[in-house]
Amino acid sequence: MVYITSWDEFVERSVQLFRADPESTRYCVKYRHCEGKLVLKVTDNRECLKFKTDQAQDAKKMEKLNNIFFTLMARGPDADISDVAGKEQAEAQPTKKGRGRKQ
Amino acid sequence: MLVYGLLRCYHGSRISCCDVVKLANILRTGKTEKVHLQPDPFLNELTSMFEKSTETGSVWVTLKRSSLKSKVQRNKMKTAGSPIEYRCLVRATDGKKTIATSVGMKDHQRFQASYATILKAHMTALKKRERKDKKKAVETDKKEGDSKKKPKV
Repeated sequence: MVYITSWDEFVERSVQLFRADPESTRYCVKYRHCEGKLVLKVTDNRECLKFKTDQAQDAKKMEKLNNIFFTLMARGPDADISDVAGKEQAEAQPTKKGRGRKQ
Repeated sequence: MLVYGLLRCYHGSRISCCDVVKLANILRTGKTEKVHLQPDPFLNELTSMFEKSTETGSVWVTLKRSSLKSKVQRNKMKTAGSPIEYRCLVRATDGKKTIATSVGMKDHQRFQASYATILKAHMTALKKRERKDKKKAVETDKKEGDSKKKPKV
């Protein structure tokens, strides 16, 4: 079992894994409230990537990853996931630009 | 003993071999079969699973892409040239009960939003950042933020 310490590396590798084999790749989440632990696993039955945490901030990151996987699985492995990540940036940018133009 | 009893029933009356195996498994492990639900009842059941497992136990949620058709059907569809509609299969279990649902392209955003709300509401046992770490993180974030903002602008 490969536990990955860096969140970004985990996300990148799991998306790569999914795109390489969308038929057999699955994303599993295990949550234990009594211990306050969250474990994420992405596997294609050949390679396994895991990420464990007990931090609340990682729950938010996990939600973003959920969005990414939902989009990839429902729309297809070639779906543009920058939509998911890009939406947040797009929401943030117009407000900044607006202020800049008014000035 | 119980399995032996089931096998006798199998020989006596017309219970299929698969049923005997299934029943034997249920009796042995106490696990029931997977229940396939619509997205909304699935979310309700998932909420109750989280609520039940606060004192002890875990909740597992698995996401997988599936067309919900057997390989034979898929190959037939490929040769016929018709597009295969994929759905996102979501399974959840608390170790004893398993529930499942499949989400298509149209409902996935709505399901995703509700699912995220449920997770946020229940994953409350995770540790929040300590103040010492926060101060250091804020300092490092500011430095990173400044260096990141410049290339964007």
